[in-house]
Amino acid sequence: MSAIIEIKHVTKEFKVLNRREGLKGSIRDLFSRDYKTVRAVDDISMSIEQGEIVGYLGPNGAGKSTTIKMMTGVLEPTSGEILVGGNVPYRNRTKNAQEIGVVFGQRTQLWWALPLIESFRILKDIYQISDADYDEMLKLYQSLVDIEPLLHKPVRQMSLGQRTLSDILAAFLHNPKIVFLDEPTIGLDVSMKAKIRTLIHALNQQKHTTVILTTHDMGDVDALCQRIVIIDKGKMLYDNDISHLKQFFGSYRTLKIRIKGDLKQYAEEITEKLPRCSVSADDEWISVLVDESQTTVMQVLSELQKDYKIRDMQLEEISTEEVIKKIYEEGVK
Amino acid sequence: MTQKGLRFYLRIYGKILAQDLKSKMSYRADFIISTIGMICTNIAGFISFWILFSRFPSINGWGYYEILFLYGFSLVSLTPVQCFFDNNWSLRQYVYSGDFIKYCFRPINLFFYFQSEVFDVKGLGQLAFGLGTLIYAWVKLGLGFSVLMILKMIVFLLTASLIMIALQNAAAATCFWIQNSFYVLDLVMRFKDYAKYPITIFNSVFRFIFTFVIPIAFIAYYPSLVILRPDAVPVLSWISPVIGLVFFWLSYRFWMFGALKYSGTGS
Repeated sequence: MSAIIEIKHVTKEFKVLNRREGLKGSIRDLFSRDYKTVRAVDDISMSIEQGEIVGYLGPNGAGKSTTIKMMTGVLEPTSGEILVGGNVPYRNRTKNAQEIGVVFGQRTQLWWALPLIESFRILKDIYQISDADYDEMLKLYQSLVDIEPLLHKPVRQMSLGQRTLSDILAAFLHNPKIVFLDEPTIGLDVSMKAKIRTLIHALNQQKHTTVILTTHDMGDVDALCQRIVIIDKGKMLYDNDISHLKQFFGSYRTLKIRIKGDLKQYAEEITEKLPRCSVSADDEWISVLVDESQTTVMQVLSELQKDYKIRDMQLEEISTEEVIKKIYEEGVK
Repeated sequence: MTQKGLRFYLRIYGKILAQDLKSKMSYRADFIISTIGMICTNIAGFISFWILFSRFPSINGWGYYEILFLYGFSLVSLTPVQCFFDNNWSLRQYVYSGDFIKYCFRPINLFFYFQSEVFDVKGLGQLAFGLGTLIYAWVKLGLGFSVLMILKMIVFLLTASLIMIALQNAAAATCFWIQNSFYVLDLVMRFKDYAKYPITIFNSVFRFIFTFVIPIAFIAYYPSLVILRPDAVPVLSWISPVIGLVFFWLSYRFWMFGALKYSGTGS
């Protein structure tokens, strides 16, 4: 099987004006040509197969959007090569657009005033979808989600959840080879999130569509992605299966304990006592992340028992969320 | 994929337009109020024009009905820009908020896709008003009717429309580079008011500016000379259709150049 997306040593630089402070500075800026170069994406390579769901993760400002914009043809890379479905996206923007679908979390691409079904009909013309394919797709949608109440509702009257759902359906309508989903579950309630994850998964299975998903919600990643790519400050930190990632941090476990009293204050005390563990507290539990290659959970527990009366405890394997957080903070060792 | 021709785009435009009108009609109060507003604006403009001419029966050798002809001509030629290109007014908001990026993902012409989104019905009221004025002046001037004259009229009305559209495109597209582009757009659109007057009433500096820099003289003055003063038509009048096409093409390239270098805000 050949790769549907091929990215080789891609770098994107932006020129940014060096801004000075204060009013005087702004006036000097007016005449200044003092630019600095910012590398939003720095030498990234990856290869994605048809039908994969790839979680594209990174903290805010990591360069995710820039990469997606390059893959969709909105931005031209400063150097390196991108091939999406055999096209160079920037040079064949309209041809590339025919092969991809894009959803940006909070920005609908549907016609604001039109009922969903009318938007679909216009999209049918724009993408030149045949009647047979169109009907088949609508049937598939009907079997996957309760689409009837949405079809005749103008997009402007929809809730955020309905709108996101509609946008995703619209993005898959012309059966593109690749769909880019940028934070599709942002701001949605739990049941809507689940609904959308199920829909994406089903469409990926049925249509063998490649999905590139950026998100900050690890629930999305756990539910959908086999593979994740993590970037930060434009550099690629990780590109592999999630299971592999957990192995990486397999020696980490979280010890949760409950003590009577002000948990936040205890958490600070414990941080001082156990400098090698990262400690946090919520309303019920104090969580201690233990690196078992350095020390053991039992040791930590007996250490804590000396000073505190522990009322309850739990032991958790590290979650994807914590793994990602560790990578953002420390990188892959 | 087949090449997408004029028929493809007309079909899509027709569909969007039909849906858009349908949804606009459903907001009846909004529709009626905006129509009344448009009529009032036109009547007010007409009254100030009438007051001016009840004091000065002629300006620089231009009589009342000739000026009225120019007035009607400019109203009619402003209709296409009002109806079909009104989304240009919102361009800067889309660019500023980063929402403009949504137009970049469709396999059709970006300029077409953006403009097709809005059809302003109010322009039709203006068209009716302009046509009425134009026909009234035409009859009063005793210009007579012939197929050739009607053809000329249509060609030169289209010319004037193209120039108006070109001016608006170019002014709106400045938002790809500067943030406060509203003032540019507003300024250029204000100049169109001067299009209603014969250019000979301005001094030579403004005449030059209105002909070659901000070519509003082509909106009504030069084209209507062909009809009004057929004995002494300047070369600029005859070549105005070409100038219209060139300006429109340039403004389109400028608009697209800005749109393609647009990268959106972070998300």
